[in-house]
Amino acid sequence: MEGLWWEINGTVLLTEKDLGRTVVESRACSRVSLGEMSAWTMGARGLDKRGSFFKLIDTIVSEIGELKQEMVQTDVSLENGLEASKSHSMVRHKDDGYSEEKDMKTCPRDSGYDSLSSRLSILDRLLHTHPIWLQLSLSEEEAAQVLRSQPPGIFLVRKSTKMQKKVLSLRLPCEFGAPLKEFAIKESTYTFSLEGSGISFADLFRLIAFYCISRDVLPFTLKLPYAISTAKTEAQLEELAQLGLNFWSSPADNKPPNPPPPHRPPSSDGVCPASRQLCLINGVHSIKTRTPSELECSQTNGALCFINPLFLKVHSQDLSGGPKRPCTRTPNANGTERPRSPPPRPPPPAINSLHTSPQLSRAETPASMPETVNHNKHGNVALLGTKPAPIPPPRLKKQAFFLDAEGSAKTLTGGRPRPGQERPEPQEPQAPQEPEPEPGPGTAGRPGRAPPAEAPGDCTRAAGPESRPPWHGGGQRLSDMSLSTSSSDSLEFDRSMPLFGYEADTNSSLEDCEEESDQETLAPPIKSKKKRNGSFVLPKLVKSQLRKMSGVFSSFLTPEKRMVRRIAELSRDKCTYFGCLVQDYVSFLQENKECHVSSTDMLQTIRQFMTQVKNYLSQSSELDPPIESLIPEDQIDVVLEKAMHKCILKPLKGHVEAMLRDFHMADGSWKQLKENLQLVRQRNPQELGVFAPTPDFVDVEKIKVKFMTMQKMYSPEKKVMLLLRVCKLIYTVMENNSGRMYGADDFLPVLTYVIAQCDMLELDTEIEYMMELLDPSLLHGEGGYYLTSAYGALSLIKNFQEEQAARLLSSETRDTLRQWHKRRTTNRTIPSVDDFQNYLRVAFQEVNSGCTGKTLLVRPYVTTEDVCQLCAEKFKVGDPEEYSLFLFVDETWQQLAEDTYPQKIKAELHSRPQPHIFHFVYKRIKNDPYGVIFQNGEEDLTTS
Amino acid sequence: MMAIRELKVCLLGDTGVGKSSIVCRFVQDHFDHNISPTIGASFMTKTVPCGNELHKFLIWDTAGQERFHSLAPMYYRGSAAAVIVYDITKQDSFHTLKKWVKELKEHGPENIVMAIAGNKCDLSDIREVPLKDAKEYAESIGAVVVETSAKNAINIEELFQGISRQIPPLDPHENGNNGAIKLGRSETLAWLPGRPAATGQELSLEKTPEKSAMLPPNGLWGVKCTWEGTC
Repeated sequence: MEGLWWEINGTVLLTEKDLGRTVVESRACSRVSLGEMSAWTMGARGLDKRGSFFKLIDTIVSEIGELKQEMVQTDVSLENGLEASKSHSMVRHKDDGYSEEKDMKTCPRDSGYDSLSSRLSILDRLLHTHPIWLQLSLSEEEAAQVLRSQPPGIFLVRKSTKMQKKVLSLRLPCEFGAPLKEFAIKESTYTFSLEGSGISFADLFRLIAFYCISRDVLPFTLKLPYAISTAKTEAQLEELAQLGLNFWSSPADNKPPNPPPPHRPPSSDGVCPASRQLCLINGVHSIKTRTPSELECSQTNGALCFINPLFLKVHSQDLSGGPKRPCTRTPNANGTERPRSPPPRPPPPAINSLHTSPQLSRAETPASMPETVNHNKHGNVALLGTKPAPIPPPRLKKQAFFLDAEGSAKTLTGGRPRPGQERPEPQEPQAPQEPEPEPGPGTAGRPGRAPPAEAPGDCTRAAGPESRPPWHGGGQRLSDMSLSTSSSDSLEFDRSMPLFGYEADTNSSLEDCEEESDQETLAPPIKSKKKRNGSFVLPKLVKSQLRKMSGVFSSFLTPEKRMVRRIAELSRDKCTYFGCLVQDYVSFLQENKECHVSSTDMLQTIRQFMTQVKNYLSQSSELDPPIESLIPEDQIDVVLEKAMHKCILKPLKGHVEAMLRDFHMADGSWKQLKENLQLVRQRNPQELGVFAPTPDFVDVEKIKVKFMTMQKMYSPEKKVMLLLRVCKLIYTVMENNSGRMYGADDFLPVLTYVIAQCDMLELDTEIEYMMELLDPSLLHGEGGYYLTSAYGALSLIKNFQEEQAARLLSSETRDTLRQWHKRRTTNRTIPSVDDFQNYLRVAFQEVNSGCTGKTLLVRPYVTTEDVCQLCAEKFKVGDPEEYSLFLFVDETWQQLAEDTYPQKIKAELHSRPQPHIFHFVYKRIKNDPYGVIFQNGEEDLTTS
Repeated sequence: MMAIRELKVCLLGDTGVGKSSIVCRFVQDHFDHNISPTIGASFMTKTVPCGNELHKFLIWDTAGQERFHSLAPMYYRGSAAAVIVYDITKQDSFHTLKKWVKELKEHGPENIVMAIAGNKCDLSDIREVPLKDAKEYAESIGAVVVETSAKNAINIEELFQGISRQIPPLDPHENGNNGAIKLGRSETLAWLPGRPAATGQELSLEKTPEKSAMLPPNGLWGVKCTWEGTC
């Protein structure tokens, strides 16, 4: 009973943590009585409306389970009760059982943590030892060399320069002819899979872990090196990991005392009673109480590590129908029943509210995050292949030599390799979804739920477990599955469809936006549904059937979000170089308001910093495990960019906004904008060049709301998404009323009109923020286009003057635009009044009469030809064909071509960073001998 | 595996010459599942095969009214190509076209591919601009020229094929192995080794100081490159 108690505690701990609660809180929860737990369970069941993706996963898993009998084989050894079974390649399950058993025997009052920490799944082992097998920079020859001395089944993951892909290099047995074979790893936007396989995974670790259990498209399953598969503690694994590439040549990589088991061990069902026996004796760990089908499935699940294995227990209990049987553990010989211990379901964070619970749990997530981060740093020391092979530490040897005495090995290593703070670590690899708070209680339990637990008519689950039809027989095959899958899914999907449709049209998600600005507040109800656990993945087959529901898949962002979070956490940790970099920069910027001369300067510096930090992160080893193993390559930059927004722009947002305001107050541009907004608003649309339907008052209000939402975002990309929605709305208004397609000729005037109607000064800084901080790679796309248009519209407004209403932009506007192009930091010298548009000072140079100057009315798009004509009149030149307009600048003369625009040239000269002295001179074309002489005396011509 | 290059293309020309009609025709003909709908006709994309590559045109429409002329540099900045459209029934629009060509030559991206489209060729009975004039002019500036009819879908494909042909192909060795071009969306993608930088042109478009030394100038050639997996 004692053991049971702890087991339940353990369960609660895990599930609670999955829900985003802090460990501390969970522990507190675990003090409550079993009765209370049952109550929770009942409450939680009401929340059981998870999507049937989990069902899909179950099916995949069950199918795999049917095909692969490795687990059963493992249990054969258990049944035999032989310590020698240690020599198994599939160590995990056996280890689990065994060490747990010992644990419970020797330490019944274990807090629940220790037994957890001793349970190393294959995924754990892979995570800890990636410096050994994940050798992205290894060449084909080097990989072959490493694997040559290894037994069949041993593998490496490297990056093939030939294919530009990651490949799995697998050592083959002699009878295959070649010593090794490479399997390409396909990376889609969100997933990793082996080429030719329909099963994809959220990250590389899960992929490898899966193929350690199931061969799928491989000739046989992968094998972990003996030392890795037999390590008892994380500390041991990390010691191995420190060897890096040298592991392969070091004595640590010892071979098993017995030959490895055959690749495809015969299946045997006779093992179950024995394993269950063990459980009974100990009264713990329902994992071992499974029936044969349960066993293989649950084990497969465990290996897949889609979920925390403990969830299976939670889940299956839920199915077995009773919150009333918290402690029952009925042995059953035929194994078709489910006499599993029914640990209570995790308590819902909020009263049966699927919608609000994620919020509550999310708020508390950060408390548990640092553990994860600290944990991640441990692997860092292991440098890939760069260290000389150190002599294995004594403890390692001990482990290698006394593998059979594993109970003592465990004792030797203390059972708690980490200080208390880090004890829950093992949970992380085991249930890597943890950093991502769970949307609804128990959601995580779904994906890996054992098929026997899944009733075929699972769509009735909302009605409660009791109403479920009983399970009959073996797992459902994937092929049988599709129909029920899509049908049950559609139930749920229908409800979320409107949101996805909405998102689709602007490629954005309002939800994301809201999440960004108000992480701690309640989000729309639909959110909890969207926030699925993303670490399980669907097979292609199913994907294609659910293509229409692609919106759902877009919510499978967990690995990405997890990575963003991880980086954000790292950025707050001043013990890392990256953290220092970010924190120092952020505080420097906040404390030194005078360090930037202009708003552009400030924003550019920030953008530059983000870009550099991104580069640093993608190259440094501070991210552990390496980002390539968790995020498909084409997404790495996207993820890093998001992370930069979170760790740099988020803390700086307030400061940046204040600074932008200050800059624009100081230079008077806001005052000008304000005045011009007034002016423009008084115009009717036609005066602005609008000849298309315009949004009415209601639409303008809607647009204003979107702009106000935009102001709350810190991510420039999300701001742009909102801008796109505004544009979409404008188009809808324009097109709905006329049924035609509108190009920029019509759109830009309407956009200008709308922006003026919104009358929001802040839009100016919003646009500036986006233009300078948006990921430059996005500037050519749709976002960049409409951002440019919005900037252009605002420029038009800023320079709107009554007499210009139907005319052109001032040269000053052009300068402003050009300034953006150049991204200059220097302030442009303000032109004097007569430098402005419409007037041009022209000097008239005549051989006899010297120089005279006149200020002529020359509009911006008047050509040189016309100016010449004007000059001929003004200066009374009899033979105008002999004369032309010249530009004298930088001590050189340039004759201006007839179709150039003198005003434009003037504007461009003004916009140069360094002031230039220049003159427009009307003079004879023929290079008369006096020209040279006159050059010296001309400096003051135009000002005279 | 096929390289996708994103090519920014800007549309210039007087208002009313049919800039957006050309693009709408180009993008919407031959219904293609891969086209992701854009939110409006001012910005459209279309991917067409060209040799071993896929060219994804990111087409930026500009407002043709004079009052918006000064905004044009923001639109043609970083463009790989410009389509300058005139109306064969309006001599004025051809005049405007020449101004655009001149402006692009002076301030546009270096090596920008220019394509001249004489639109509304279905109205040749009221033609004001002889095809000969356009051809001679185009030859003098080294531009692609074609008379089009967006209404009757004449020469629209050809126009963009002409542009595709003028875009120099990527050197597979350069982007395949040296790692300078990352896969996927990345800032380094815009950088193509061995290409002259489209920067520092006379009076405009200086090299962006924003990038660190390790990064290429932003927007060079308007070309990006991604790899399409063999799904």
